[in-house]
Amino acid sequence: MAKVVVDPVTRIEGHLGITMETKDVTTSTGTWTLVDKAYSHSNMFRGFEIILKGRDPRDAYFLTQRICGVCHAVHGAASMQALDHAYGVTPPPAAVLIRNVLHACFYCYDHIIHTYLLVGPELGILAKYPPMVPPALGKEGIAKLGLGSSYAKCVEMQRIANEATALWGGRAPFPVAEYPGGVTVKLTLDRIAGTVGRMNQVWNFAVHTMYNDLMALVEKNEHIGEAVSTLLDVDFRGLQDVGPSYPTQLSYGLFPDPDNYDDWVKAQDGEPSRRKSAVIHAGAWNGDFKAFELGKIKEYVKYSKYSDECTGLHPKEGKTIPQKDKPGAYAWAKAPRYEDKPYEVGPFARMVNTFGLRWKFDVTNPISGETFTFDWKVLNPNSSVIDRVAGRVAQTILFATKAMEWAIELKQWVHDATATINPKTNNFSYVPDAAEGIGLWDAPRGALLHYTKIRGGKIENYQCVVPSTWNLGPRDDMGQPGPVEKALENTWLPQIDVPTIANTLYPEADIDASAFGLGKVKWGDALAVALKPLGLAPINMENGYNTSLALAIVRSFDPCLACAVHEIDLTIRR
Amino acid sequence: MEIKPKLTRRNFMKLAAAMGASAFLATYKSEIVEAVEQNKDYVHICWLNGSDCMGCSISFVQSVSPDLITILTEITVGTSGLPIALPDYMEVAHPAAGSLAEKLKEERWMKAPLKILICEGGVQEEGYCIVGQRDYTEVFREAAEVADVIIAIGQCATFGGIPAAKPNPSGAMGVQDYLKKVGINKQVINLPLCPMNPDHLVLTLAAALIGAMPELDQYGRPKAFFGKNMHMELCPYRPYYDRGIFKETPNGEGCRFKMGCKGPGVWTDCALRKFNNHVSFCNETNICYGCSEPGWPDKFSPFYKEVTSLPTVLGWDAGTIGTALLGATAAGIVVHGIKRAASGGKKEKKEE
Repeated sequence: MAKVVVDPVTRIEGHLGITMETKDVTTSTGTWTLVDKAYSHSNMFRGFEIILKGRDPRDAYFLTQRICGVCHAVHGAASMQALDHAYGVTPPPAAVLIRNVLHACFYCYDHIIHTYLLVGPELGILAKYPPMVPPALGKEGIAKLGLGSSYAKCVEMQRIANEATALWGGRAPFPVAEYPGGVTVKLTLDRIAGTVGRMNQVWNFAVHTMYNDLMALVEKNEHIGEAVSTLLDVDFRGLQDVGPSYPTQLSYGLFPDPDNYDDWVKAQDGEPSRRKSAVIHAGAWNGDFKAFELGKIKEYVKYSKYSDECTGLHPKEGKTIPQKDKPGAYAWAKAPRYEDKPYEVGPFARMVNTFGLRWKFDVTNPISGETFTFDWKVLNPNSSVIDRVAGRVAQTILFATKAMEWAIELKQWVHDATATINPKTNNFSYVPDAAEGIGLWDAPRGALLHYTKIRGGKIENYQCVVPSTWNLGPRDDMGQPGPVEKALENTWLPQIDVPTIANTLYPEADIDASAFGLGKVKWGDALAVALKPLGLAPINMENGYNTSLALAIVRSFDPCLACAVHEIDLTIRR
Repeated sequence: MEIKPKLTRRNFMKLAAAMGASAFLATYKSEIVEAVEQNKDYVHICWLNGSDCMGCSISFVQSVSPDLITILTEITVGTSGLPIALPDYMEVAHPAAGSLAEKLKEERWMKAPLKILICEGGVQEEGYCIVGQRDYTEVFREAAEVADVIIAIGQCATFGGIPAAKPNPSGAMGVQDYLKKVGINKQVINLPLCPMNPDHLVLTLAAALIGAMPELDQYGRPKAFFGKNMHMELCPYRPYYDRGIFKETPNGEGCRFKMGCKGPGVWTDCALRKFNNHVSFCNETNICYGCSEPGWPDKFSPFYKEVTSLPTVLGWDAGTIGTALLGATAAGIVVHGIKRAASGGKKEKKEE
């Protein structure tokens, strides 16, 4: 057994290291190294919950967004819904739509940047698909080889989506426009037009570039499966066999229906709910649709650095007594479980809880009238790298459409200032003296819960149960690995570097590199040309092992360590 | 014939501030390229992340005219095809991970003729931040000791930010303070705001490329960006204030002062430069809550409280918020209040 460590894991949010213990399997073609067990360490702690204590409850909306600078706005959303809940108010329809537009634009930015800048490069290399590889040969490489063409376009498109977010929120990262019971931003035709114009561009990118890129990956998938199966003499179908976790998938839902807000609030009140009136439904999918119930969440600490008396509790009653040198513990994060089972959260969870195992929906671009049908049959019901990417593409298309539709719908309220705030909260002086509230929203990485407890008009207790704890948390008391730990098991760690493996998968010399002083070259040799000047030829090699697949798996979960780690805070200081 | 002021190290920031990143880099691209071309090498950047949230990295990706791809693919060193400046190390976006990432930092950045260090996030006490299996205090110190230019971006790296807010659970501080603490005598260029404005970084980097040191204020911020008071000199809602029209409800319109806007105590060009391709800034949709200033967020919290009634107000030093200014503000409101009462209470400005 060897130990393979990757630290820092780049192209994620935060400081993460992963340790993999290997095992060897022997087949007719040779002996191959696979991941036996994996452990993820979160490496930085700031202490948000402690810092929030004693502050004005409304400050949490601003401050918690800084938990993560990549998925910032969603913390604002969860925080504001916890405040709505504590204040006992609901936003009027126009305010719900304004919030929806802001967050739909934010979502498009986030899924676009993740698909290309973070998880995309390894997929592009694996599928011999230059548009998704970073533009390492500059402008000329883009023009002559298409190297990084989608990657470069993504940088522009995520920026345009963020501009639309900023129109409603002042700036992105960290938009500020929401207020208990509504919004502080003024509804203007300018904002509506600016949003529709920009999201139309994003829509076109999502439908014509992102979707095509996904299809390009799918097209190569069979070849990848066959080539690897032959090489290793194993049964390997392709990217759907990379990084499967569990069939259990948790979502809190997204984008409430302004005319049925009561349905949205039920889940916050603790009732079993699927939030079916929302665009993305809540649910605890276990092979079939199941309603989500707040009371079924518990956190376990057998392998976390907390006293054993903290184990098996609901977050609201959660105890956090740190025990730094607890024997056998290897993580600061607790292990949240739903009905005592590990659940994956994120794009795949949102899609199955809304659409089941076939994601089919029609959209019409309200500007051009162009129609598009998205249709994806889930390739692995336990989720996988390619299914997670497909989920992000589907949601970018869906949310870009919705953002435009909602913005247009908002026109009817442009001259009505009373439409954007609940009359009960239309002043800046009222803060409840004693109240508590739960906010349930989905971050791009998955289910996000904020809990605020107000006493004497100030925050007495603030807690967040965040997506990356669900996905990256450690083993629980029953010994079940967290979803990422599970997904890494049995991943192949080739003792072959990236260009060589690319040559093995694609032996034909058909890349025209004459612009770079070479003739026709193989895919791996072309990559080497791009990688070498930047010192990147040994990319992803650790201790002789190629960790590209393992990294693609970790990144496919879109880890956000800053989120996961602020669980620690409670621990250290109480 | 092209007429443009000659670019010198002395007038660099002045021109940069006046023109904005886009126009400035377009006008002076050749001079900047010329300055680094003699190296036949790109300018080496090391981008470290400490107690951060990566919001500044994401903000940098929002850079426009030039955008990131233009910077990386079009402004090249000679004919090498290499970008004019490139991070050898950057957790959020660099292709390399793990040991290769660390190796590139040691073998490329550490040995480069001009080493630019960009710090995102502050420095905490030992044990709170581990990068590449080493404590961040060590990682940061090692880089800071050899860096030729140190640029701190965002509120956390400049002044400690939220991690350093009461009770500062992890002992976080800005990089300038940390350098002082460990006895490294180097000037840090502070580009605060939460997140930093990408324009500020692009222009400061360009300054570093030609070897110009921007003129800094007492908090290490370039005066060109942080030399003007938001409320007194820049805010587009100022005319409302002068007429005594205030936004006093979430759906109202007017000067944001009574909502708790921190503009009077804030020195930054947000209102001019704005964010996200210059489309907006916080005041347009809510309030300014003061993220350009040392002591944020504690000095400005609660955010929805008028600056004059904040309990910490007396603790603000004259350099940050003059008592005279505050007095004038308070008196101004009284006067406006009286005026309004006398005129029978002017109606709120009509919705457009």
